[in-house]
Formats: sequence, structure tokens, C-alpha cells
Amino acid sequence: MKILSIDCATAAATCAILNDDNVLGEITYNYKKQHSTVLLPIIDELFNNVGMSISDIDGYVASKGPGSFTGLRIGLATIKGLSQGSKKPFVTVSTLDSLAYNLAYTDGIICPILDALRDNVYTALYTFNNYKLNRITDYMNISIDELIDMLKEKNSNLSFVGDGVPKFRERLMQQLPNIGFAPTHLNLAKASSLGELGLKLLSKGIFDDLYASVPIYLRLPQAQREYEEKMELSKNE
Amino acid sequence: MELEFAVTAVEETYKIGELLGTLVNPGDIICLIGDLGTGKTHLTKGIAKGLSIEDHVTSPTFTIVNEYTGRLKLYHFDVYRVNDPEEIEAIGFDEYIFSDAVSIIEWANYIQELIPRNNLTITIEKKPELGDNYRKINMRYSDKRYDYIKEIKI
Repeated sequence: MKILSIDCATAAATCAILNDDNVLGEITYNYKKQHSTVLLPIIDELFNNVGMSISDIDGYVASKGPGSFTGLRIGLATIKGLSQGSKKPFVTVSTLDSLAYNLAYTDGIICPILDALRDNVYTALYTFNNYKLNRITDYMNISIDELIDMLKEKNSNLSFVGDGVPKFRERLMQQLPNIGFAPTHLNLAKASSLGELGLKLLSKGIFDDLYASVPIYLRLPQAQREYEEKMELSKNE
Repeated sequence: MELEFAVTAVEETYKIGELLGTLVNPGDIICLIGDLGTGKTHLTKGIAKGLSIEDHVTSPTFTIVNEYTGRLKLYHFDVYRVNDPEEIEAIGFDEYIFSDAVSIIEWANYIQELIPRNNLTITIEKKPELGDNYRKINMRYSDKRYDYIKEIKI
């Protein structure tokens, strides 16, 4: 099975073509958010340089988020278009899963963190055992402080990965023992990682519905925003 | 901090905008508050000019946000038609305003809870008793990043 995978959930615009055994090609730009201008050219370049065309592709993988609102829509819209036009299935996988998968075979808890702004992160917790990645929490949009509190109770080695690392590294190091960070070359969303997870689903016949599939944006719950608003008002009084 | 300007012609509003546009820095957030017809869009056009933006600037009342590129990137929001702050949040508002661009938000008071505290708020008021074209332009901020507005002289 040959698949095309793209991930635009973060600043990285990343695209890969994979088969069951190999990553045939991957192009990643992790420089500013410029998905709308670079995504289609890199897909085109990939096809040209691996000597394939869209008709050789058996299925597609896109990020379902959470992440950049605009990026998610660009990525999913592109994959939906390719999928519908070529009549081949697509499946969505969370960028948090793919980031955690960058750290496969890591002991303890793997914690991908994506900057969700206003001191919040998109995150979920994972473990890797029996040669398999296991997600042990829901996908969350929580403040970095809430995450730190949650992790303090875990009593486990912690490995962080994702674009939230440069921003929060100091705070995490000050407040949590036994922590490590992904090496730079693994600390970004890779379409090859997302694609491998997606390929496993597609080969089992699992795919998304063209009309029903939507990204998960994970906005802050209404109650929390109203609470923050109230706190803001009382500060100004 | 607070600064006030009195203008008697729309050209002066534009001029203040233009001067402001030469001074703004990446990440600045400018909230524009004032009734219909007070000159919010004129001020924005001036800011765009000051940012060396050549495109014709129009009000994004229906598009919610327009993007321009000059000396810096400019996001021009008009949230007049937004019924619920959640609608504007759903277009990825945070990604726009927490960026290296300059953001101008007309009717920012409609989405108060989404506006970060380190903004420059510009309120434009008519004073009919002082003439049809008279406007009081008040600039208010708490973050000293906006101290540069003291350089605006008309």
C-alpha cells in the first residue's frame, strides 16, 4: 500500500509518501506558517522525485489536530480534495499521536505539547509498551500549570516533545523531576510519523467519511472562558 | 497612559493613522472603538499607509479579517457583525493576534474577553457641539511598548 501523508497542524508544513516498509520521500519546512503557499508545491515535488503520480496512491493521511486552526483546515481540505478526486480513502490521525510516536521506545510517559497560546497547551499523555504506542488520556487543551500539576502526581519519567518545548522548557525543568526532551530532529511534526500511524489504520480498512470528518480544534470549554472573563473583570474593578 | 488628540477634518485622522503606522512594531494590537462614521476605517487606512501598504484598504465588515503586507503584516478585523465572541475565536483569532503582524480590531469592545491586556485602545468620539467634523481621538495603553505614540504630533 502506498500512501500520501500531510500534516499542517503546527508551523511545520510536512508531506511524505510511504509504503508498508519505507518512507519513499519526505519534505518538511518548519519555518513560519506558510502552508497555503508551500504545501501544494512540495506535494508536487515529492511525486516528481519519487517518479510517481497521484494515481499510484492507495490512500491518504491528514492531521486531525489539535493545532493551528488555519493549518488544520488547509491540510484536511487538501487531503479531502485529493481523496475525493482520486476516489481513494483517507484517514485522520492526531498530530499529538504522531509526535508521541517520534519518541517510540521511550520509557515512562511521553508528553507531546503544542503551544495553544495564552499559556495553554494541546497535549495528551502516552506510554510505549509491548512495542505499541498507547494514549492514556484524552486530547486536552489545558494551561501549562494544570499540566504540570497533573504530571507531578505521575511519579514517572517524563519525555516532552513538540513546539511547546522551547517555550516551556525552563518552567518544566524547574517544576518537574526526571524529565527529558526530544532531540531537535525529532521535535517537530513529521508526515512520515503521522503517515505510518495512518497506514496501519488504512490497511485495516479504517478510514474517515469524506463529509463527516472534521478537525478537532479543542477550544477552551465555555465555562472556563466565562470564568476567566469574570476573573479579568474583578481584576479591573 | 493616555493621550488625546482633537481633529477637525478626516485628513487629520488619516494623518494620525499614518504616523502611527510608521511607529508600530510586530505583535502590536490596536483596538478601535467608536460609533459608525467616526473614522475608524480612515484611521486604519492611515496606519496601512504608514506601514507602506500599497493595497486599497476596505472595511472587512463581511469578511471579518483582511490581510495586508507592507513594512509589516497587517491584520484588519471588523467584528461589528460578530454575534458571539466564540464565532471570532473559531476562525483562529489567537493565531492572528499572537503573531508577528500588527492587528487592528474595529469594534474590539464587542469581543472584550478575547483581547489581551497589552493592547493600544483608540477611542474616537464625535462632539457635535464642536462641529460636524470634530473628533476626539483618545489613545490608552498600559504596556510601555506603546510609548512611541508620544512621538505623534499633528
